Amino acid sequence: MKKVLHILFSLTLAFLLLSCHKESDRIFKRSEFLMDTIVTVTVVSSSAEDADRAMNRVFQELKQMESLLNFFSTTSEISVINNAAGKHPVRVSDTTYNLLSLAREISEKTEGNFDITVGVISHLYDFLKKSHPSDSDINRLLPLVGYKKMELNSDKKDVFLQLKGMMIDPGGITKGYAADRAVEILKAEGIKAALVAVAGDIRGYGLKPDGKGWIVGIKDPRDSSEEGVFAILELRDMAISTSGDYQRFFIENGTLYHHIIDPKTGKPAKGLISVSVVGPKAAYTDALATALFVKGSVKGIKMVEALGYSAIIVDNKGEIHFSEHLKKMLKLLKHRISGSLED
Amino acid sequence: MHRKDRGLIKELLKQTTPYDWLLLFFLIIVSLSGLISMKKFLPSGSLVTIEVEGREVYKLSLFQDRTVEIKGPIGTTVVEIKGQRVRIVESPCPNKICIKQGWISRGAIVCLPNRVVVTVGSGETTGGIDAITR
Repeated sequence: MKKVLHILFSLTLAFLLLSCHKESDRIFKRSEFLMDTIVTVTVVSSSAEDADRAMNRVFQELKQMESLLNFFSTTSEISVINNAAGKHPVRVSDTTYNLLSLAREISEKTEGNFDITVGVISHLYDFLKKSHPSDSDINRLLPLVGYKKMELNSDKKDVFLQLKGMMIDPGGITKGYAADRAVEILKAEGIKAALVAVAGDIRGYGLKPDGKGWIVGIKDPRDSSEEGVFAILELRDMAISTSGDYQRFFIENGTLYHHIIDPKTGKPAKGLISVSVVGPKAAYTDALATALFVKGSVKGIKMVEALGYSAIIVDNKGEIHFSEHLKKMLKLLKHRISGSLED
Repeated sequence: MHRKDRGLIKELLKQTTPYDWLLLFFLIIVSLSGLISMKKFLPSGSLVTIEVEGREVYKLSLFQDRTVEIKGPIGTTVVEIKGQRVRIVESPCPNKICIKQGWISRGAIVCLPNRVVVTVGSGETTGGIDAITR
């Protein structure tokens, strides 16, 4: 009898051990095509229904955001603002207004190295057709570039581009902004840990079921494979974004044309090949990575550090530089980047 | 030496009580449940990747029902995603092995004649990396 009792006891114990895992946290992951890229949301939850509901809300809201902010859609608020340039102010949604004020704020803090009004020139670079604007086109359009010519009225929530022909392209901040919004939604839905990746603009919070932060790799700018990374770091309640000359480019007569346009010259920025910025908000990491790339010098790292962010830079000699602050978090898999871009 | 060992084991077995066996049973259960829980930590496969001739043409969510047509070297393959499963509905290949494979919710369907590969995975990248900033 005693023996039977003991066996029953141990079976119950085993059952309890097994069943308690039903309530344990799991990782759920979903990807969708949005904002001309792949958006991947990874959440930690003990319930598939909760994870699904939260992810549904995120994708729903990002779709809505895309319809407001898409530079290429004729019906987006961005296009309406651009079409009204030099004519009249346009009243916009909170989403668009907040994004544009954030963009302006970062332009001011980076002395114009990040500037969404460069859209009037940057849209003339076509990386599929491999075409670029002529020097005379650039010189003609440069006077239309300048964030100070974008008026924002916080009372009326309207936006006015002072000169006819001006164009804003918020592509350099939208993805990060979307990642921030996605994190807000997931937190409001009670998700205790998640990783949102809007293309390369990534924000994570909380810990995975294994008790670790989110492991993010930084793309090797000269490795053409999808998975090639030169460094990894563990993100804990942080965002990271990367700007590089390899993302969209073509080579013409030995000259590299890439998509990060210096608002002061109207031409692709020179000096660096990859910049990653790490810090609390993805809208900031996104825009600051562009700003630092445009600044084009390793010394620019101080500009992002002054704003409470850190950076990892690969210069055009392949040397890697990073903020002192990242020393403990960052694991370099390569100590130097080599190779060249192939068209 | 060996004889001595055998003697020891015999002596040990003699001294084994039902409680020892119970402990052994308990330890086996604990390690088994560990294995099961490990499986739960793995992300659920939710990303459908469709490749033609080694080139990725679609990355779709397994949670969103839809049908897509893929042009391969010998014709059009039709892939259907429904109820968190995926299958090949139509294929220009002679044997229709890919269609016969039916619905999958993990793993892959390969149509060799039309060079189409449909994979259900987590979208997880290599080496325990959760995402890549590029």
